[in-house]
Amino acid sequence: MESSLIYSRSRLVAAVVYAWLGIMGVFVLFPFLWMVLTSLKPEIEALRVPVTWLPETPTVEAYVVMWFRKHYATYFLNSTIVSLSTAAISTFVGALAAYGFSRFGLAAKGTMMGFVLTTQMLPGVLLVGPYFQILSRLGLYDTRTGLIIAFLTICLPFAIWMLKGFIDGIPAELDEAAIVDGAGRLTVFFRVVFPLIRPGMVATMLFAFLLAWGDLLWVQTLTSSEAMVTVTLAIARTVQEFFVKWPELMAGALMGGVPGVLFYLLLQRWLVQGLTAGAIKQ
Amino acid sequence: MMLGIRLPALRDRLMGYAFVAPALLLLLAVLAYPAGRSLRLSLSSGVRGSSGYSLVQYAELLRSDVFRQVLQNTALFVAASVALHLALGLALALTLNRPLFGRAAFRVLALLPWVVPDVVAGIVWKWILNPLYGLMNDLLFRAGLIAAPVEWLTAPGLVLPSVVLANVWRGFPFVMIILLAGLQSIPVELYEAAAIDGAGTVQRFRHVTLPGLRKVLIVALALDTIWEVRRFGLIQAMTAGGPGIMSEVLSTQVFKQYFQFFKFEYASAMAIAMTGLLLVVSLPYVRMIVRQE
Repeated sequence: MESSLIYSRSRLVAAVVYAWLGIMGVFVLFPFLWMVLTSLKPEIEALRVPVTWLPETPTVEAYVVMWFRKHYATYFLNSTIVSLSTAAISTFVGALAAYGFSRFGLAAKGTMMGFVLTTQMLPGVLLVGPYFQILSRLGLYDTRTGLIIAFLTICLPFAIWMLKGFIDGIPAELDEAAIVDGAGRLTVFFRVVFPLIRPGMVATMLFAFLLAWGDLLWVQTLTSSEAMVTVTLAIARTVQEFFVKWPELMAGALMGGVPGVLFYLLLQRWLVQGLTAGAIKQ
Repeated sequence: MMLGIRLPALRDRLMGYAFVAPALLLLLAVLAYPAGRSLRLSLSSGVRGSSGYSLVQYAELLRSDVFRQVLQNTALFVAASVALHLALGLALALTLNRPLFGRAAFRVLALLPWVVPDVVAGIVWKWILNPLYGLMNDLLFRAGLIAAPVEWLTAPGLVLPSVVLANVWRGFPFVMIILLAGLQSIPVELYEAAAIDGAGTVQRFRHVTLPGLRKVLIVALALDTIWEVRRFGLIQAMTAGGPGIMSEVLSTQVFKQYFQFFKFEYASAMAIAMTGLLLVVSLPYVRMIVRQE
């Protein structure tokens, strides 16, 4: 009798647990579903009361309009170029610095690392003003190069920290063995450490990519021409129009999330490992 | 030291500086220099031709009712967001830290709101909370809970909670994932030992789980706080700080002062104040990391 009591009690616990997960699952995913459903409605149907849940006359017109008539391809290209470049530069430079901090007993190491940590906290709005002036003077206002430089401010500090966590996890004896065999530090870095932290580099690149791709503040202040608009800026501009075309906006927002989501789904294992590398020592 | 024999220590040390130099120089150029210029700008009187230092902007900041309101909004927004991220994140991490059907899929999918740009989070919730055509009012109406449309994003008492709701959706998955990784790094033997000693569920949580999570908790809280103080795109897309300044936070306000009202010196002072706030808030985190190194 007692065992059946335990059994039914554990069944109850399981039911509660799955119900709670179910509710949270709906909370997390329903907004995405709602975006999809809205994006497939004609505009008249989206602005009808009472609200229809499933599109009555499903259409992909919103996607066609966004992609072909509203230059979304250009915005996508801009976002991609800028985000990938930022991710690559900050990960490479970050890996060098992370190796330096991890392996050498440098004087003023504490100060230097404190500096890196502080740069992580500076808010974007502290920097955008001066950036506007500096980039204008350098002729880099309203260029992708200007945006890449600006995005380094968000991505590089994080990249150094994440990668240092990974390099700390690799035994220094490997370096020393290679040095005993006559390798220089650069060879050690590229031949020994580099291959071992590849998962960490992937995670860092993904994180930097997401940061750069998702930014609005910098693109809004450092670009002005139609040719330089990024995906987030396009979305933000559409929502500020007087008559918002919601199906188009939802289609644009969904497409704007796709690259990040795809990369994330492919690489999520390493991302989680990378984000916690500093906090959890194996 | 074996290395000392083969490689002159000084040369190796110099090599170390060479490794960190590109990043540090880059950070000095792209971050420290502009930050310094902002600081300099915030200390000028704003009067043409005068080049001395002045605290006029900060004095104006202290007198401004708008600034006080924005500060209060920011505090509420950050506190509510971070608290709810932590509550939901911890609850879900504890739930997922056991064998469950579909656990891996849930873990992967739950992070999606955090992966998409925060602008996207802002506009999808703006649409869901649309008073006339939004899903939220439709659901509440069908359930018989409301008779007239609720103005989620224009009613004074509702706009800030609505923005927080969107931000909770966007941000709690990150805290959940970090805490889950932390939970999984706690050795099972500790729980077994505690159970043998007769510790109940609550005691095991207090004496094994919480101490084991301490470090990740500090990291997750610190990063989340820093990010939420800096949050811009979500609010800009959802309400642009409005109506009036009811959902205005520091980052949107500095942006407005700088690029719409062109009060460069005043905006810089506000940004400097915001930076000071961030540095103070993240002090425990910095101390922990420095001690760890």
